[in-house]
Amino acid sequence: MLNYLTGYLSNTTDTPGVAGSNLWALIYILIIFAGVSGFVVLMNWGERKLLAHFQIRLGPMRVGPHGLLQPIADAVKLLTKEDVLPDGADTVIFRFAPVWVLLTAFTTMIVIPFGPQHAVTDMNIGILFMLGVSSLGVLGIIMAGWASNSHYPLLGSLRSSAQMVSYEVAMGLAIVSAVMMTSFTAGWDGAGTLSMVKIVEAQRLQGTWFIFKFFPLGFVAFAIFAIAMIAETNRAPFDLPEAESELVAGFHTEYSGLRWSFFMLAEYAGMFAVSSIATTLWLGGWLRPFPNLLAGKTWDMAFAMFPGVLVILVGFAAFYNAAKMPKHPAMKPQVVGLWVLGLVVVAVGLLMVMPPVALKISDIAWFVLKIGFFMYLYVWYRATFPRYRFDQLMKVGWKVLLPISLGVLVVTGIVGLTPELWAWMGGGR
Amino acid sequence: MVANDRDFYGDEWGERTSTVLDADELVLNMGPQHPSTHGVLRVILKLDGEKVLGTECVIGYLHRGVEKIGESRTYTMFAPYVDRMDYVAAVSNGLGYCQAVETLINVEAPPRAQYIRVILAELQRIASHQVWLGTHALDIGAMTPLFYTFRDREEILKVFEKYCGARLTTHAFRIGGCQYDTYDGFEKEVKKLCDFMEPKFGEYEELLTTNRIWVERTKGVGILNGDDCKALGVTGPVLRAAGVKWDLRKAQPYAAYPKMDFEIPVGENGDTYDRYMVRIKELHQSLRIIRQAVDSIPAGPIMAKVPKVLKPPVGEIYHSIEAPKGELGYFIVSDASLQPYRMRIRPPSFINLQALDKMVRGMLVADVVAVIGTLDIVLGEVDR
Amino acid sequence: MKVVTLLRKVFLVDLLKGLRVTFKYQHPKEIYTEQYPLERPQIAERYRGLPRMNVNPETGETLCIACDLCAKACPEHLIVVESERDPVTKRKVMTKFTFDVSRCMFCGLCEEACSTDCLELSQDFEIATFDRNQFIFDRKRLEQGPEGTEYTR
Repeated sequence: MLNYLTGYLSNTTDTPGVAGSNLWALIYILIIFAGVSGFVVLMNWGERKLLAHFQIRLGPMRVGPHGLLQPIADAVKLLTKEDVLPDGADTVIFRFAPVWVLLTAFTTMIVIPFGPQHAVTDMNIGILFMLGVSSLGVLGIIMAGWASNSHYPLLGSLRSSAQMVSYEVAMGLAIVSAVMMTSFTAGWDGAGTLSMVKIVEAQRLQGTWFIFKFFPLGFVAFAIFAIAMIAETNRAPFDLPEAESELVAGFHTEYSGLRWSFFMLAEYAGMFAVSSIATTLWLGGWLRPFPNLLAGKTWDMAFAMFPGVLVILVGFAAFYNAAKMPKHPAMKPQVVGLWVLGLVVVAVGLLMVMPPVALKISDIAWFVLKIGFFMYLYVWYRATFPRYRFDQLMKVGWKVLLPISLGVLVVTGIVGLTPELWAWMGGGR
Repeated sequence: MVANDRDFYGDEWGERTSTVLDADELVLNMGPQHPSTHGVLRVILKLDGEKVLGTECVIGYLHRGVEKIGESRTYTMFAPYVDRMDYVAAVSNGLGYCQAVETLINVEAPPRAQYIRVILAELQRIASHQVWLGTHALDIGAMTPLFYTFRDREEILKVFEKYCGARLTTHAFRIGGCQYDTYDGFEKEVKKLCDFMEPKFGEYEELLTTNRIWVERTKGVGILNGDDCKALGVTGPVLRAAGVKWDLRKAQPYAAYPKMDFEIPVGENGDTYDRYMVRIKELHQSLRIIRQAVDSIPAGPIMAKVPKVLKPPVGEIYHSIEAPKGELGYFIVSDASLQPYRMRIRPPSFINLQALDKMVRGMLVADVVAVIGTLDIVLGEVDR
Repeated sequence: MKVVTLLRKVFLVDLLKGLRVTFKYQHPKEIYTEQYPLERPQIAERYRGLPRMNVNPETGETLCIACDLCAKACPEHLIVVESERDPVTKRKVMTKFTFDVSRCMFCGLCEEACSTDCLELSQDFEIATFDRNQFIFDRKRLEQGPEGTEYTR
């Protein structure tokens, strides 16, 4: 029994799914579920605060210290709202659509590699699985729009699904060019891989992140994916289907309360998923930066401790803000809370900085840092850019991104095969 | 427009009888409350899929009977009511009214008052255009210019507060001149304000003017050429963007404008992008005027000799000024009593709104919001 | 010229310029919000807020001479001044002064019309009450002047 429980722990090379340990796979699933949910809560607060700072205002400040309890207040509000079912709506599909969208969004998390063995499982078709399951999410959106029995949501959902489908083509082609780059690993005999863990392995073995490979080809492919992923998740500047100032208010108009919060959860989880695809394929997944330039054990340790140092700095920022809070007696609980939070964060950071712990979690920490970078980009774009009109949006997807991604694919292939081509042409077979 | 309501709406006024996805024509209602607010304006759109076939504006939700109130208030008492029409540009409203009554009673404000009026009116023009820019950008999707423009507008409103005591409904001028003289440090503060504002205008342009998304959303959208403008009576930046160089500050100058040196920006195509560029250039020209005026305010009295109890001679007068939104006109009929017999106000927003139908035919639904924004309407003025 | 425009388009220069502007404004010193109950705004001297009646600082008597000019100047006719003639000095003495702030538009015409410095629009803007009747100010409330509001939460 104990063997069953701890048998996996002695395995240091495989993910639980590959190793066959269902128990640990389940534990990882629960951890990822909790983690992504926590991420969504954090992202809710973070987006509001960050957007506010871009707009020279403060954002939520009163609910908790600096608005930290705001997502909880929002959750309570959403949970206690009346469950409205539109008249004439198809109740089964109406109830099922948010569940479906959430299901597909979370199912993609199975193959996200936080580390060489820190994924639920490592399918050998990992990236294809993620792409396919996220495409299934479109069905949920159409269901939501149809079941609402009102033409605003229907038009919005059709537009949204058309947008997502068109940008998936460009996404797919960009992904193919990255996958093609994995086949140029020495020692793999020209075999590429669709497995997420092995894609990162390929970047490690080739000594370069794919964003820098065959410069500027990797970068262009990354840029195309970065644009397509924003359109895929219906975020600004491609958020016409859910924009408030347009007539059609989007597929989730008729949803309120908990059902709407499922859509919101699914949106953020979708953002997390596509960001993790981008991180895995181009930004080297869990690998630390500068593996060749700054090589060696000390540099390894330094980079492993870096996330912990960041966490400690966040704790200090909490102390600083707590000291700067207004001295009004009504704010006292908030000040105390912020000091306590700062202490907890600094403690966690100190824990993360300790060498044995740092080495163990550095993979996960770096992966999460890179995802955080993408989230920042998402909010930055939302603050800056106006919205595309729907026909212009489709034009960008089909007439701009698709040809460029095809071109990048072809040129990557040519450039990558050039030694072989030359050998074949010159040397003869 | 349409022959009768039934023709346009099909059955009941404002109600559709066809079910979803049934007819190929859809009647869509942008109701009085909608997120892209410009006040309470109801626009009924007749759509063919995404294309707009026709529109009908329903107004009157903010009608307060200002013109009727004017018939039962004395001339001095009516001045505060005038601010509340175009509440975004209250100083301009007050300026037009005071000048109209001054023309009626044949009194001229002293030069110092004229300069103060020009400075405040141009500051108000900047503030009004900033509100327009923020809300227009918000409608098109860019959220941040709203906050930047409102922040900069705060500085102007602070000057207004220091001068006349209120930020929005200023009641800044009186018949015959200005009630308040400039406060201590007014010139210095206004000059500092101008220096503060100029780089900010550059920032708005950096965010929007060359941004490809903005250009695509606004170029070629809502075209209104010069002849249509003249036929519909459209004035203001909308007219100038269509290529017609007509500005009342140059064509029929009033206050201290004859002594000011400034240009009238004119557009070419009459589309939304041109209207945007015209208003941005007007911002710069306003700064130019303010700087000149502040440098050369003459000393002297600020109020002309006006009788305490105003009884204008019998007659009528129409006087108009170039408000930020267009030609704001006052038609006052006096019957030698304390109250005017008729106080008619020509609101630029109301007349400009007529052009909406012509501008959005053939456009997509998403453009309707952009076009309403670019017309720069304030419902307080449309409905009075 | 065309090459430059093409390069600008390809390298998304216009989008990057916009991104730079918003990035710059993240700095906390740019924040323009004031957290209201904790930070009060600065009000100008000429601000037209709630009305107030001034009293003679030495004698404590009201400065109002019941000339009724403020009531005549008000566009909304919301000032009511009652007076009686003092038999000794033969001057009018104000007995009752009512000001209905709920209909007031703070235009300042009454303040301008007042012949002594009695009626004045103060800088008070925190005028919310729970009951509409509290908006009808009598002489006592007007002489009391603005009272600050203290927020406990």
